[in-house]
Amino acid sequence: MNPDDLKYHKEHTWVRIAGKKGTIGITDYAQEALGDIVYIDLPEVDTAVEADSEISEIESTKATSAVITPLAGVIVKVNDDLAESPEVINEDPYGKGWIAVIELENPAEAEDLMDSSEYEKYIEEEAK
Amino acid sequence: MDLAILGAGPGGYVAAIKAAQLGARVTLIEDQEVGGTCLNWGCIPTKTLLASTDLLAKAREMESFGLELQGSVTPDMTRIMERKNKVVSTQVKGIRSLLKAGGVILKDGRGVLTSPRDISVAGKDGSSYTVTADKVIIATGSRPAQIAAFPFDNRNIISSTGALELSAIPKSLLIVGAGAIGCEFACIYRELGSEVTLVEMAGRAVATEDQEISALLARELKKKKIRLLTDVRVEKVDVREDGVHAFLSDGQELAAEKVLVSIGRAFNSEDIGAEALGLARGGRGEIIVNERLETNVPGVYAVGDVTGGLLLAHVASRQGLVAAQNCMGAAIAMDYRVVPAAIFTHPEIASVGLRQHQAEERGLKTRIGRFQFRGLGKAHAMGEIAGFLKIIAEEQTDEILGAHIMGPHASDLIHEMAVAMQHGLTARDIAATIHVHPALAEGLLEAAEDVHGEAVHVLPASDR
Ligand SMILES: Cc1cc2nc3c(=O)[nH]c(=O)nc-3n(C[C@H](O)[C@H](O)[C@H](O)COP(=O)(O)OP(=O)(O)OC[C@H]3O[C@@H](n4cnc5c(N)ncnc54)[C@H](O)[C@@H]3O)c2cc1C
Repeated sequence: MNPDDLKYHKEHTWVRIAGKKGTIGITDYAQEALGDIVYIDLPEVDTAVEADSEISEIESTKATSAVITPLAGVIVKVNDDLAESPEVINEDPYGKGWIAVIELENPAEAEDLMDSSEYEKYIEEEAK
Repeated sequence: MDLAILGAGPGGYVAAIKAAQLGARVTLIEDQEVGGTCLNWGCIPTKTLLASTDLLAKAREMESFGLELQGSVTPDMTRIMERKNKVVSTQVKGIRSLLKAGGVILKDGRGVLTSPRDISVAGKDGSSYTVTADKVIIATGSRPAQIAAFPFDNRNIISSTGALELSAIPKSLLIVGAGAIGCEFACIYRELGSEVTLVEMAGRAVATEDQEISALLARELKKKKIRLLTDVRVEKVDVREDGVHAFLSDGQELAAEKVLVSIGRAFNSEDIGAEALGLARGGRGEIIVNERLETNVPGVYAVGDVTGGLLLAHVASRQGLVAAQNCMGAAIAMDYRVVPAAIFTHPEIASVGLRQHQAEERGLKTRIGRFQFRGLGKAHAMGEIAGFLKIIAEEQTDEILGAHIMGPHASDLIHEMAVAMQHGLTARDIAATIHVHPALAEGLLEAAEDVHGEAVHVLPASDR
């Protein structure tokens, strides 16, 4: 269920690497835990971000939660469609619900993140 | 005892009634209208407009409440303003009859102190006479401050007073100053359909509030598509045929139909005879008073905005009560430790006591409890889940040092915290008190529990 071509961060975000660019979103587990998402405070293009830092905040009917970027770089694109339809994150967290694209400082750092099977184990542990 | 009071705003008229109750013969002199800024051009008219726009906002959400509207809901400025005028005039009548019933002599005219005991009055009816008293309270209030480079023209460059009298909804509104007044008008006119830009020279909107409040307000403004620019100044405004063009310190140029300047208040201490009396004034023109609200001229007191402290109606009124009693022989000191205050944005903001950064600056050790309105069933039922409540308690004693709320009915909720602070109650005292379910005040119960990490309706830390 968690796609194999993605890398995962312990704060429940994912990154899809394509060359120097990384697309970021939140995981299915995260959207499920948050419940109905009603708003996302999207980051701004051209912002430089550090790995493990907050780039955005999501409001659901239950909670507000920070979106943590797994990798460092500069935000080059954000998913503006989410401004009007944040619920897309619930519906399609790994597809249309992507949040931002980052021009990565060092794509090789992705190696330190979890792959899908590691992430699945990690959330099983968290659930305990 | 003869007491003369200059100005019938919430400071002056409350002082007048109190002093009369205590047996003074009171003459109250008012140049414009009883109720002052608060009732005529401030608190009450803004909140009346807000009542219309809040209802409009709700009407727009009708469908989500399962209500079907046949037709549409559109704002009619003429009738919105008529309603506002009616609310104001009803209250004006109310104060006039209170004054009358209290035995206060009301003089409609402009007063100037010619000695510490004498006020020369130019009556509205053309008369002129002198009112002589044993003691005097100055309660002349304040007015909108303007920017020298682009003063009010009351057409394109307007004050808060002008913004309460527009006959049409401006297509676009540029608001200079994102304090309480600027942010309230931003919400009102945005809801009516104006494109609104707030320009603030400080680093954040409502800069005197807790930083978390400013951060959430920035978010809520963004949701409403109100543009907020911070750390930038409007340096110049050109009035052109198609509206105004504003030039900002960062080089940006913004066009708008109107500019509302809400950068603060100027104090009405100039034309009241202050110089002749030798009244001590501060650098901003505010009249300096001691803790008993007496000026440097014995027997002359001052209350309210003109003293330049907290520019709030309820502070002015409390000062009026204290000054009236002191004029009648008491020696009561004003106590500003617990002053709740509200900003009527949507959602509302309210605060009392220390902000977190103030507590830190004072080197206080604190525990902080927070709760989100979205954790309350009542907030969901009402369809108003945005916002949070925050309680700051002293680490050792657990005494509540401050509370900050942004969310539905914040201006009412804050009083539980104010009473708690007034009486030195602790976060545990609040947590031990049964609160009604379902009610928004449960948020304070939860926040108080969270001070000790014991809230029941909070997700574990990693999910917050
Ligand atoms: C848009 C706006 C919204 C506001 N909203 C709020 C709010 O929600 N809550 C809140 O607490 N505060 C609010 N305020 C602030 C509040 O209005 C003031 O703090 C309050 O009115 C101060 O009361 P005061 O009696 O000191 O002075 P004022 O209300 O200014 O009254 C002074 C009176 O003195 C009269 N006067 C002046 N000079 C003379 C003279 N020489 N002779 C005779 N009469 C004279 C004036 O005509 C006036 O009526 C708001 C203010 C504005 C502008």
